[in-house]
Amino acid sequence: MSDAPMVRFENVTKRYGSLTVLDELNLDIAANEKVSIIGPSGSGKTTVLRMLMTLERINEGVIWVDGEPLTHEQRNGRMAPAGDRHLRRVRGKIGMVFQHFNLFPHMTALANCMEAPVSVLGLSKQEAEARAAELLDMVGLADKKGHYPIQLSGGQKQRVAIARALAMRPKVMLFDEVTSALDPELVGEVLNVIRKLGAEHNLTMLMVTHQMGFAREFSDRVCFFYGGRIAEQGPPDKLFNDPENERTRQFLSAVLEAG
Amino acid sequence: MNEFALGFSVAALAKGVAVTLVVTLGASLVAVVLGLAVGLVRVSPRWPLRWLAIAYIEFFRGTSLLVQLYWWFFVLPIFGLTLSPWTVAVFGVGMNVSGYGAELVRAAIQSVDRGQYEACTALNFPRLTMMRRIVLPQAIRAMLPAWGNLLIELLKGTSLIFFITITELTTAAKLAADATGNYLLFFAVALFGYYVIARALITPFVRWLEGRFSRGFVREMPA
Repeated sequence: MSDAPMVRFENVTKRYGSLTVLDELNLDIAANEKVSIIGPSGSGKTTVLRMLMTLERINEGVIWVDGEPLTHEQRNGRMAPAGDRHLRRVRGKIGMVFQHFNLFPHMTALANCMEAPVSVLGLSKQEAEARAAELLDMVGLADKKGHYPIQLSGGQKQRVAIARALAMRPKVMLFDEVTSALDPELVGEVLNVIRKLGAEHNLTMLMVTHQMGFAREFSDRVCFFYGGRIAEQGPPDKLFNDPENERTRQFLSAVLEAG
Repeated sequence: MNEFALGFSVAALAKGVAVTLVVTLGASLVAVVLGLAVGLVRVSPRWPLRWLAIAYIEFFRGTSLLVQLYWWFFVLPIFGLTLSPWTVAVFGVGMNVSGYGAELVRAAIQSVDRGQYEACTALNFPRLTMMRRIVLPQAIRAMLPAWGNLLIELLKGTSLIFFITITELTTAAKLAADATGNYLLFFAVALFGYYVIARALITPFVRWLEGRFSRGFVREMPA
């Protein structure tokens, strides 16, 4: 199955009432591929990540992860919407980092990273603590283990959140505008951690971002979303230097003008 | 005022205070345990469970405490179930208050930030683990001040157990006032008695709990 994509969106449609947010999305992401999603607000880019994390139900189509359907399962020989057990099994391959961190405020940085490995994966406290400490060290926060989220800066919180997601050993990592809530001087420390992850781990990464410079340097492929569809996609050099779609050109010039 | 009547009345009053304290403590335990349980069922994803919790809350919150006590004490025996006044006092008052408590629990659970639930999904928590480890510790902190109010209400509500034959603080004060003729003194004692119990026991206990559940919410130097 090594040729199968790690993630596949197959004719996925998402509606809120009469508003179609994503319109028959087809997107394959290869194992270990780094894909950035850019586009104006309301173009459906965050919804792509939220559907993959099962935070949103889809209306039509199928999402596949690592060769098996995520949103559906075989029942009596036909594809039925996935039940809770199936969702929990397949979802375990995916990790997500949020714009607003969503750290557990009543737990220290270390406890934030230990909680799910202990209570979901069943690791012993010692194993979970060793894993959490190693990851906090990797994101440069070895000295902040005993701090509560409120005692950390935005950049530090987001690095704890990355370590917390990694502690579950996902195959796919989703980054949803992870630097958008940060003060400008803290953006770099979070992007550096993501760079390091990309270089040192075999992770499939899918990120929604407004950091065009980072998307360009880091991604294997950039997808430009417009009006619930992929208006254009390709290698970053091509998409940023020589976009084919008029919408892409307008978006990029507007974003680059804003600096 | 006759010395004998005074001495006798003071002793009866002391006993009344003890009765009020014991019933308040017992009924509070019932109210907290059942309030938490019913509140959790009230936010269950399964509608039959939710519906049961709603019926419970509507009954205990929507009807009179005194009439509820009369039912447990005078009506249930008609159906062959006779309960002691103490059982009715502790469970009758406790269950009544648990109806209000369940709504506090529901509101507090629903006030926990949606991002916390999303993080729990992303980390693949089973629902019960999510409630126990992530949602409840934050919800309990949010609901504690309201529980403090409710338990003070409960304390004062215990005066109604007079009607099911128990001599508690208010009753003892009334009897003492009748026996000695000193209404000013004994009703003043009753008035301040409730205040002192609320202020010296309930409020400090709730404050202490608030402190315990506030770790990570208040900026403090790391240990």
